[in-house]
Amino acid sequence: MRLPERQLAVLEAASATDERTIDEIASETGLKPETVTGAAFDLRDEGLLSVVETAAETLNLTDEGRRYVDGELPETRLYRAGLALGADESAVSMGRVIGEADLDGPEVDIALSNFARKGFGSIDSGELTADPAADPDADPEAAALAALADGAAPDADDAVLDQLDSRGLVDRGESVTRSVTLTDDGVDALMTGVEATETVSELTPELLASGEWRDVEFSAYNVEADAPTTRGGRNHVLRRTADRVKDVLVGMGFQEMEGPHADSDFWINDCLFMPQDHPARTHWDRFALDVPPMEGIPDELMARVEAAHRDGWGIDGDGYHSPWSQEFAREVALRGHTTSLSMRYLSGIAGAELEPPQRYFSVEKVYRNDTLDPTHLLEFFQIEGWVMAEDLSVRDLMGTFEEFYRQFGITDIRFKPHYNPYTEPSFELFGEHPETGEEIEIGNSGVFREEVTGPLGVDCDVMAWGLALERLAMLTTGAEDIRDLHGTLADIEFLRDAEVSY
Amino acid sequence: MPVVDIDTDELRGLTGRTDTTDEEFKKDLFGLGLEFEGETDDGLLQFEFAPDRLDRLSVEGVARSLRYHYGDDRGVYVPETNDPEWTIEVDESVPDERPYVTGAVVRGVDLDEGALDSLIQLQEKLHATMGRGRAKGAVGIHDLAMVKGAPLQEGAEPSITYRGVAPDGDTFVPLDANDELTPSEVLAEHDTGQTYADLVEELDRYPAIYDELGLFSFPPVINGKRTEVTTGSRELFVELTGTDQWTIDRMCNIICYALSARGATIEAVEVNYADGATHPSEYGAELVRPNLDTDEKAVGHDRIETLLGVDFEPEEVVDCFERAGLDASYTLDEDVTYEVEIPPYRVDVLHPLDLVDDVGRAYGFDNLEPRYPDVGTVGGRHERSRLEDAVRTSLVGLGFEDLLNFHMTSGTENYDRMHVEPGSDAFGGGDPVAITEPYSEEYTQLRTWALPSLLMLLERNTHNAYPQDVAEVGFAAERDETTDTNVAERRHVAGAVARRDASYEAAKGRLQSVCDDFGAELETPRTEHPSFIDGRTAAVVIDGEEVGVIGEVHPAVLVEHDLEVPVAAFEFHLDALQK
Repeated sequence: MRLPERQLAVLEAASATDERTIDEIASETGLKPETVTGAAFDLRDEGLLSVVETAAETLNLTDEGRRYVDGELPETRLYRAGLALGADESAVSMGRVIGEADLDGPEVDIALSNFARKGFGSIDSGELTADPAADPDADPEAAALAALADGAAPDADDAVLDQLDSRGLVDRGESVTRSVTLTDDGVDALMTGVEATETVSELTPELLASGEWRDVEFSAYNVEADAPTTRGGRNHVLRRTADRVKDVLVGMGFQEMEGPHADSDFWINDCLFMPQDHPARTHWDRFALDVPPMEGIPDELMARVEAAHRDGWGIDGDGYHSPWSQEFAREVALRGHTTSLSMRYLSGIAGAELEPPQRYFSVEKVYRNDTLDPTHLLEFFQIEGWVMAEDLSVRDLMGTFEEFYRQFGITDIRFKPHYNPYTEPSFELFGEHPETGEEIEIGNSGVFREEVTGPLGVDCDVMAWGLALERLAMLTTGAEDIRDLHGTLADIEFLRDAEVSY
Repeated sequence: MPVVDIDTDELRGLTGRTDTTDEEFKKDLFGLGLEFEGETDDGLLQFEFAPDRLDRLSVEGVARSLRYHYGDDRGVYVPETNDPEWTIEVDESVPDERPYVTGAVVRGVDLDEGALDSLIQLQEKLHATMGRGRAKGAVGIHDLAMVKGAPLQEGAEPSITYRGVAPDGDTFVPLDANDELTPSEVLAEHDTGQTYADLVEELDRYPAIYDELGLFSFPPVINGKRTEVTTGSRELFVELTGTDQWTIDRMCNIICYALSARGATIEAVEVNYADGATHPSEYGAELVRPNLDTDEKAVGHDRIETLLGVDFEPEEVVDCFERAGLDASYTLDEDVTYEVEIPPYRVDVLHPLDLVDDVGRAYGFDNLEPRYPDVGTVGGRHERSRLEDAVRTSLVGLGFEDLLNFHMTSGTENYDRMHVEPGSDAFGGGDPVAITEPYSEEYTQLRTWALPSLLMLLERNTHNAYPQDVAEVGFAAERDETTDTNVAERRHVAGAVARRDASYEAAKGRLQSVCDDFGAELETPRTEHPSFIDGRTAAVVIDGEEVGVIGEVHPAVLVEHDLEVPVAAFEFHLDALQK
């Protein structure tokens, strides 16, 4: 039989006839008592040892009790000081006695109350008289304290111990003493011979190959100790949110769009029936680029869009009373929304002519000249989606968006009638923050106007919506400053510590 | 979005709802799309609304909308207009850049402080919205008693004249001043003049309005003091000038409706464009204004039902129209079509679809039951988006922290601090796509490569623990006139290893792994690049094509970024990994 070294030591120190305590075995083997206890229980589980537990009362000196052993009890000091001042003959002022005894603070009260209780004398009208017959050297309380200090069991009755306990000079408790004896199996094992197994600190390829791992014991670790955190790479928190949005939309049957970040105002604004003198098209709100104008816009499409702006679309349509020029339409700027992609796809220029039904989306960057603050960036991601089908109604729009937001835990969305130049009817979407319960704007939506779809050659309904990805990410990550997430000001620790959302 | 300031006592008076509390008004206005924003210092309630219903820019218009909402008014209302006595003559000297004028006379006005404030507010809000900061249209309101009409001929009607004046050609005392100033002095010296100077200062002749006594208004900048409107004014002359006749006519209508709501009488004026003056081609040279004619548009019953997803009886639709302040008639044929009459204060009805929206609002969009459209389509992701994600997964697996940096940067960051010459052959040295009017020195162009962003991030994180291995799959662009938009847009893959033992080998080992993941063959022939240490720099050649650069970042560039650890990095075009 093989046993780990320390178990073997305990087994050999145990006796079949005498109960031996853990402490005895520990001092004999040189092992720590807790190691012996662990080994004893392991051996009991093997059936080699029996373990008996006996509970016993323990008495230990408190710090205060120990102080009185080194010095004397305060009442004794008071008595001796009284004798020194002749208080056994005639009463002495209490103040003098206390001074003589060098008592201070709470010791004074302790001395006075116990002095009277033990019959060392009396106190009357501020004067102290000592009883010459009293004998502090025979005080059982002092004797009990002294015995405890020597490690002996005090020879005192319970009343004295109770008194010491109530004075806070001793701690009463209970201790468990474990004793072991060899079982018959244990004796047999020792008779037939037990060898010690080897303890190893790491599992090596050699141990595995040789099969030696079967005979070794692995040294125990402190498995509760902290380990340095392992840092792997991780996807950017905003990318993860974007991926989740993409998953949801693909699941709902949407195809992903892509297209240029730098695009002509034609695709960014004119196709959207945004008048050229709209405040959002002034140089303050957009990032115009210093490149030549864009030539590759189909002439017929350009003409239809211009006609919609100038004269309206359809029999009863009116145009804007705003200036319109091809030059402005051809200027290249950074897109302020990804609806420019929707326009390209709907026109067929991004690929095939689309026949209804279709669903498309993108989660891509847009650029707006806003003031940088905790919730606004010059660049952010816009979630854009649209559905093209015959005879879509406002109810279909509401149903689609309810389903989308439900995927992010946002239910009970509210549709507030709104105005956009490019959709009619239009709705701002409001929803309840899943944690704070606050009503927040979560998107803008509507059915594209005929002045938008008509010139693009689309003759069915298209409903669309958009919202900032960052707004969704702030809801799901709890980030309070968007600049922690996005851009070269990002804090790498923040990115490393951000919780994974899924 | 526009904001209207409302005195709720005025609102109670104008709606006749004397018992309605402020809170009830807030709730009712929210239903109309006017959202409570706060209070002004003077205790007026501020409401924000979408810029379609600009007839709600004053308390009078808001009260009108509420009366329809409460059902106190129904259908179209057009105030009576008396025949014209006054004429606005338009001289051929009017600057071509601001050719149009319109106006109205308003009599029997009783302006208390509240009404005067409201009128001034309406004027300013119209300037800010339809008037496009006064460039497209500007309002001047004058005390008619102080205007002396100068008939062109004996016995003709009184008139004022819209004409051009040389910058120093005449003088008048503007509002908030005591001295006679020429128009160019107004632009130079007067506060309001300075604010609006850029609207006219390039013109040879400035717009001006004269009566028999001379120059009394300098649109779109400032009125004269002589004709200033006060609470004592009983009759008003309203004039508007601008670059579009329709726009100023509608602004005029909104003002006339507001004054009419306070009991005033509207009197038309004639506008005569002289021979040689530019006149609005669609209306002719002789106009009578204000033009309070209604518009008509036709909308089909089917369209209303399909767009709202609700089945209606025609009477219900007519009821909704009337509650929206419109009138509608229809004939009961197989296809019901409504002829809808639209009042002249509406500036937002461009298409029959806008009338469907009015029906929806009157019916109550809240009453619509959402439904998921029964339309089947197949979803999927774009190939580039899948490739980007796959490369990100490889990089993250190698221990890189995935980054997301701004696409806009400055030439300093993109070139100078990397020791790269703009317009050079070095990777990242492409011609910049510059922002025409940058608002900040930090954002003047699109980045031509991603490595500068990575180094900026490392620079910002020197207080954090190393190693810092960072990577980005992201956008970069350079000017390229061979492309459709004259901007070549690419996705780049960039990685940087910042740690004590960062070496060329560390970067190349990781790059090799990424290439292996995509079955791409990597070669790294020696090259030179100003951002990297000579002898430790290579071109990234993937499947035989040079697509990037790899090396140990030059100590001068590291020091420039306050970095005290070595950095090895690579960057290449994402599409090199595309199969």
